Amino acid sequence: MKKIFTITALTFSVALLTMCNKAAMFDEAGYDERLSGGMATVFDETSKAFSHSIDGLNERDELVHEIGDVAFEQTFIAAPSLINGGLGPVFNNVSCISCHHNDGKGTPTAGFTNSSLLFRLSIPGTDANGGPLAIPGFGGQLQDVALFGKPPEANVSISYSDVNVTYSSGETVTLRKPTYTVSNTYQPLPSNYLISPRLAPLVFGLGLLQNIPEATVLSFADENDANNDGISGKPNYVYNSFTHRTELGRFGLKASAPNLLIQSAGAYHQDMGITNYVFPKESSWGQSQLDNLNDDPELADTTLNAVVFYVKTLAVPARRNVTNSDVIQGKLIFNQLNCSSCHKPVVQTGIDLNTKALNNQRIQPFTDLLLHDMGDDLADDRPDYLANGKEWRTAPLWGIGLFAKTNGTPYYLHDGRARTIEEAILWHGGEAQKSKENFMKLSKNDRKKLIVFMQSL
Amino acid sequence: MKKILFIAIVTFCITSCKKNEDTPAISFDELKTVALKDFTNNVAVPGYLDLDNAAINLNIAIQNLNTNATEVNLTAAKTAWKNMRGVWEQCEGFLFGPVEDNDYDPNMDTWPTDYVQMDSLLNSTNPLAIADIQNITLSLRGYHPIEYIIFGNHGNRTAASITARQKQYMLSLSEDLKSTCHQLYLSWTVAPTNFSNQVINAGTINSLYSKKQEVYLAIVNSLIAICEEVGEGKMKEPFDAMDPSIVESPYSGNSINDFRNNIIGLQNVYLGKYATNDGKGINDLVASKNIALDNKIQSQITAAISSFSNITMYYEDAIINQRLQCQQTMIALNTLKNTLENELKPFVIQYITD
Repeated sequence: MKKIFTITALTFSVALLTMCNKAAMFDEAGYDERLSGGMATVFDETSKAFSHSIDGLNERDELVHEIGDVAFEQTFIAAPSLINGGLGPVFNNVSCISCHHNDGKGTPTAGFTNSSLLFRLSIPGTDANGGPLAIPGFGGQLQDVALFGKPPEANVSISYSDVNVTYSSGETVTLRKPTYTVSNTYQPLPSNYLISPRLAPLVFGLGLLQNIPEATVLSFADENDANNDGISGKPNYVYNSFTHRTELGRFGLKASAPNLLIQSAGAYHQDMGITNYVFPKESSWGQSQLDNLNDDPELADTTLNAVVFYVKTLAVPARRNVTNSDVIQGKLIFNQLNCSSCHKPVVQTGIDLNTKALNNQRIQPFTDLLLHDMGDDLADDRPDYLANGKEWRTAPLWGIGLFAKTNGTPYYLHDGRARTIEEAILWHGGEAQKSKENFMKLSKNDRKKLIVFMQSL
Repeated sequence: MKKILFIAIVTFCITSCKKNEDTPAISFDELKTVALKDFTNNVAVPGYLDLDNAAINLNIAIQNLNTNATEVNLTAAKTAWKNMRGVWEQCEGFLFGPVEDNDYDPNMDTWPTDYVQMDSLLNSTNPLAIADIQNITLSLRGYHPIEYIIFGNHGNRTAASITARQKQYMLSLSEDLKSTCHQLYLSWTVAPTNFSNQVINAGTINSLYSKKQEVYLAIVNSLIAICEEVGEGKMKEPFDAMDPSIVESPYSGNSINDFRNNIIGLQNVYLGKYATNDGKGINDLVASKNIALDNKIQSQITAAISSFSNITMYYEDAIINQRLQCQQTMIALNTLKNTLENELKPFVIQYITD
């Protein structure tokens, strides 16, 4: 009997010990590389690839996503109006979708109905919250369109000059360098103004990026380059005007927005001139264009919340051709060139008990959400919280191979100057200088493999 | 009698055999290529050509109205507007390619109309030339401002009440529309875009679409999108809010026709047919592998189109007084959308892999 008891006790102990073992992660081969967004991945490579809701939303959440989807496409018009009133009086465009074409990027022009480029403005110094110092009479963003009869703040014309880059093998690529000329200002701009071009970024997969734990982002940082690899990585800490706290910046091309609420509310406010519960005062406050209507906030709270939910729950397109040998070799080259040091291929999201597809997902965003010095050629020389004039947030690369489908003509980088992925790589400098130089030393065939890999993202 | 019967049977057999020899069965692989060609040459390009011509006709009608503001000319302009609108709404059955890449859609069909800015514009000294129109905000361009000027509310506009400024505005608006439609047509037919070639050559290095599957999915997505836009957007939003002011095309009372034409456009694409053009469509591909699915899709399309006839008043009135009929149409559209999404799309993914 005693023996039986001992055996039973031992069996129990083994079972208990086994149960206590923490589940191990799969090795690399255990994951399907196509699932860029983990569970929040969609298999579509058409022009609508960026426009799908994530799977597994409950009926209510699907409805909110749809309401947000409709609102994202709504055209705003001048107030007073029974529907969609409140546009402007100064603005950049009339709807979210006008800039975020097919929920992706747009066209790097300014002031036209299909333009997706805007300009942030400031003067040297910082405001009370550490942000850029707004220009009296202009604020922090140049609104280059106005309601009929009102003057826009200014016009911006864009010209390009050719810059030739020659590979060691002798081949030459012609890049185009933009020059921005501000004219027709409705009142004088101070001579020391700083200007930063920003092309509308992708809006899918943002719920996943928002759900990356702050500790994970900070674990990627190496502000003083302690490991001497030439790459630092710095978090931006920014002021959240809704919570009135300083928080980690995640969104925007310089990571100057802490979350999707601030990013979306700010876009309504600054890009379209639509006041809302986060930014209830007209962007033209104190300017001659102000409408003086007592109609703020112009956007229903529920609409703003639905749009925030919409961008939070847009799925990430799956990778293509992951078993193609060129793609596989291109991936190795991507890692060997150390592109993956900033464009982090794999990141784990945190806990989100409300939205299963965002919860604890292994995703492939190809970003670390950190700021990096990108060199003089890409510098805007305009600080934005902790980002200096040369630093930009690492752009996520997921979906980059689909830009030609979603946008008609693809454009890359923060101002859309690059027309191909190759051009975008060749513009890299600063912390990425060494990676670029090594790229330029590759054989034509290997360069092609790297591009083919990126087109699979 | 027996002899006659014999001759009849022999004749029938010979005729049948001959027909088979003339139209040999086409393989699924060939069908994939032919259906893309027929969609392009029989549906998309003729649709955009008709749109181009309809825009010219509208422009002529508006010029006549401008020169001679009679009720007859106003009626002719209204008819030309409705004709053009019908063609456009059918073209919305395949909203992919240049129409979205080059923003032709928002350039001509932005809703709502901006009355505040329209008043400012008309009361200003702006010359209202075509160049001025092409530089103004989208909500002051395209179909709906023209609709507002020539129809008024529910068509109560009289020719004599159209002001000189409104006339100049509608002239330039129709010129702008004509220009947009012509560019749209050219984008499918001539270099540099020549989008027809992109579709027909899908799966080759000469196309943006590296696989035929990609362009088929783009087409199916556009069918799903138009179902969604009509059922869950254009109809549902004013229906849920019981708000007639949200209804699109309210001045002409043309909303129901708009909705119906959208789904007829979907049907054209699915069947590879348009006007008198007939060819191979997605239906032929589906029928060759799954006749039950093809029957289901075709009957759901027909049911959705027919259901619009149950709404017998302006849509802005129907959302208040014929809610059941509106609801039934939205259910029919939702049913069709679900079939396209959950059965047709997987069919394409399963069977069109190249």
